[in-house]
Amino acid sequence: MHRLLHGIRQALQSPSRTTRTAVVLGRLLGAAFLLCFATGLYSHFLQNPLPWMTFPTRPTWLYQLTQGVHITAGLVCLPLILGKLYAVYPELFRTPPITGLRSLLERASIALLVAASLVEIAIGLLNTYQWYRLFPFPFRQTHFALSFVIIGSLAIHIAVKLDLIALHWRRPAAGVEAAAPAPAAAVGAVTPAAAGAATRAPARRGDAGRGVTGRVFAWIDRTPAPRSPRVSRRGFLTTIGVASATLVALTAGQSFRPLDALTVFAPRKPGVGPGGLPVNRTAAAARVTETARAGDWALTVMAGGSSRALSLADLRSLPQHTVSLPIACVEGWSQLAEWQGVRVKDLLALVGSPASVRVRVRSLEQGSLYAMSELEPEFVRDDLTLIALRLNGHVLDLDHGYPARLIAPARPGVLQTKWLSTVEVIG
Amino acid sequence: MIVPPTRRTVARLALVLLGLALLATGALALVAGVAPKHWPGILAWFAGAIVVHDALIAPAVFLVTLLLRRVGARLPAAVVAIVQGALVIGGIVSLVVVPEIIKRSIGTLSSSILPLDYGVNLAVFLGVLAAVTAIVAVGYARLFASRQKVRPSADQH
Repeated sequence: MHRLLHGIRQALQSPSRTTRTAVVLGRLLGAAFLLCFATGLYSHFLQNPLPWMTFPTRPTWLYQLTQGVHITAGLVCLPLILGKLYAVYPELFRTPPITGLRSLLERASIALLVAASLVEIAIGLLNTYQWYRLFPFPFRQTHFALSFVIIGSLAIHIAVKLDLIALHWRRPAAGVEAAAPAPAAAVGAVTPAAAGAATRAPARRGDAGRGVTGRVFAWIDRTPAPRSPRVSRRGFLTTIGVASATLVALTAGQSFRPLDALTVFAPRKPGVGPGGLPVNRTAAAARVTETARAGDWALTVMAGGSSRALSLADLRSLPQHTVSLPIACVEGWSQLAEWQGVRVKDLLALVGSPASVRVRVRSLEQGSLYAMSELEPEFVRDDLTLIALRLNGHVLDLDHGYPARLIAPARPGVLQTKWLSTVEVIG
Repeated sequence: MIVPPTRRTVARLALVLLGLALLATGALALVAGVAPKHWPGILAWFAGAIVVHDALIAPAVFLVTLLLRRVGARLPAAVVAIVQGALVIGGIVSLVVVPEIIKRSIGTLSSSILPLDYGVNLAVFLGVLAAVTAIVAVGYARLFASRQKVRPSADQH
């Protein structure tokens, strides 16, 4: 077994699998993880604020930016983590697998880091087109919990590898390069310099030619080694870079309009949807097609003891304001639109409430996460926060929240509640 | 990055403590947010992720690398690297797009989710990638050959 693992590890040696390439990719992956973690926490707390939290309402495209970065950086994590895992793959077959407490801690934190990262990226991607049936656990809570697991095990991983990271932080000076230890140099494996030889010496292992594994290793031994370690290393890092750039270029247009023309793989396309705006949750999915079109629909505004029911005609008779705000979804896509309707603070004035209060809005939709949202005072008193009745010059489409929906600056789309039924001051 | 050992030890300790605190937070968030009946599913996905990478993707990449090295034994190293790179790029993009194709064929709750024809787009992308790779690789091989003629002793390592 030991010999088999040793053989596998030796066979896997490649000039692109060095500690230096692992450090280069590890830095980029770590940065992408931290970017995702920070933007993810921002999105999380916008949706589940702690009592003392207040949020900036400008620039109006703030959430569009943070969530676009979250999804785009998350996508880039895929080629980066595959590249990073490629660079260190021979380490999987290290023998003996565990040598003490430190190596146990190291391997356990790596297993956790790798598993949690791969799952986090996979479910994040699947969530962008709502393929929830594929995994048997709730998306949001799991994605949130795993983000801490990833950053936590990453911190431990960095702690364990700190010496190696420091040693390979900078590009080795010319000449020293060939002497830089490969991850498996300690087992006497092929160093990049030795790998530069045109072919590997056949039958370098004692078991070559014996049994199935022996034959496989002999076959591998007869395969010429990469002739140019430099080309191999550069080519590897360039490949990961081009793969990342390709993914960004062909998908990020859903969040960043200048790339719109290149958008061929993004799960959303700006301009595609009713009224030229994508829809996440349709009226049919929310089961509001009848209640939203009912003739007796009214928006009930409540503050303390007083309440007032406003029909659509009543709302239209109030001062109308037009604002330009993006709808920016947690799933990463976003699009600027022109909304027209009544300011939330004007509605509150009708029932004698000041504007600096917390407000809860409810949808006609029943029993769903999307059915309700709360506005902190900074959003309630904002001139741009509207109960929108019109979108891009037309009456709201049923799928965009007819007869009335919320629109506020710098908030996730999931909180821009549609098919409103009540607006209530809660404190 | 030249840090005296003592400072590095402090940094290491701080990182481990920070890591443990974050892991504890993650565990608490899991306990608070995800019902225990879903935990086996998460564990199964963890195991599945490791198996898919370590037992499928990585060995497949290794095998393709070996085959390429054999086939390309007489080609310039850079040409082999270019073809290798193109295969990896095509593979990673397919990894992202193929699930979209499958989900689109299953159907979505809104017509603006997955609105594009991802199958056609992927085919076009792979075609363009293959064409660009061929042009670059052939161009490089010719350049290499002409350089070899001019300088027969040139060392290409």
